[in-house]
Amino acid sequence: MSLETTLQQLYDLPISSTIRENVNAFPLIESLHVLAITLVFGTILIVDLRLVGVAAHRRSADRLIRELLPYTWVAFALAVISGSLLFISNAPAYAANVEFQLKLVTIVLAGINMAIFHSTAHRRIADWDMDLPPPAAARVSGLLSLALWTVVILLGRWIGFTLDVLF
Amino acid sequence: MFIQSFGEWLYDTPLSTTFREITWVIPAVQSIHILAIAVVIGSALVLELRLAGLIATDEDPGNVVRRYLPWIWKALIVLLASGTLLIVAEPARTIGNTVFWVKMALVLGAYLLTLAFRRPMLASPVGNVATPAKPIAFVLLLVWVAVIFCGRFIAYT
Repeated sequence: MSLETTLQQLYDLPISSTIRENVNAFPLIESLHVLAITLVFGTILIVDLRLVGVAAHRRSADRLIRELLPYTWVAFALAVISGSLLFISNAPAYAANVEFQLKLVTIVLAGINMAIFHSTAHRRIADWDMDLPPPAAARVSGLLSLALWTVVILLGRWIGFTLDVLF
Repeated sequence: MFIQSFGEWLYDTPLSTTFREITWVIPAVQSIHILAIAVVIGSALVLELRLAGLIATDEDPGNVVRRYLPWIWKALIVLLASGTLLIVAEPARTIGNTVFWVKMALVLGAYLLTLAFRRPMLASPVGNVATPAKPIAFVLLLVWVAVIFCGRFIAYT
């Protein structure tokens, strides 16, 4: 089974044609996607700025992360679900779109950056929990995360102008 | 109609034409607009959930307001500036659109509510939690969500 047939099968799903044909479905799902992204970026921004060295509403970096990360994850799940629905409505066109491909790569890079942070600087967080600014490793993680999520939003917006499909 | 003739005049200005001809201008300004709304949403989320007593209840509410309210004001300025550029680039899509005006009314409502009920908290002494903040917290979060939905629907109406 080739990628093309899989994409076409996704396109042919009843839910995909519903999203394409119902005038309000696509904008509604897109609005949810934007809401989810603003929640992901908005909460991550507070944590990333704390990692870079900008004070948040509490001093402890570890408590801040544990307080806000659940919101980030729920919003990210909403972004993935709404994004998947937008994707299947025009699977072949999205898959062929360079900005879409780069956006997925950038999200993976943001995930890798987060995994590296959690397995390195975050392991020793007890040593720098109250430090402002935190050690260089944490500051680099925060800056990279900010940069990568900004690129994700830019690429996401560019998809709307480059996608090879008009409704 | 005044708005229509104003929109037509704006559309024909050299600045408006330039914005449309340079293909990256509109998506770039829209991206800045989304980044700024993310700053509002992130700040408002923590601020309002704190005032609703749902998170960070060990932190002083006045300090949480002092931390996040200035970010909301700064992001609103960026939103106003980037939004104005988007109106200049595409007048008919914006000021000629009912959803746009609904969005503006909601933004004004959120601004006035924040100004009336949140700004005074900047001066509240540490430990003062006497303000009946909870209902307004949920109203404000809902209004910001509605603003996002209107923003996206402008593109389809």
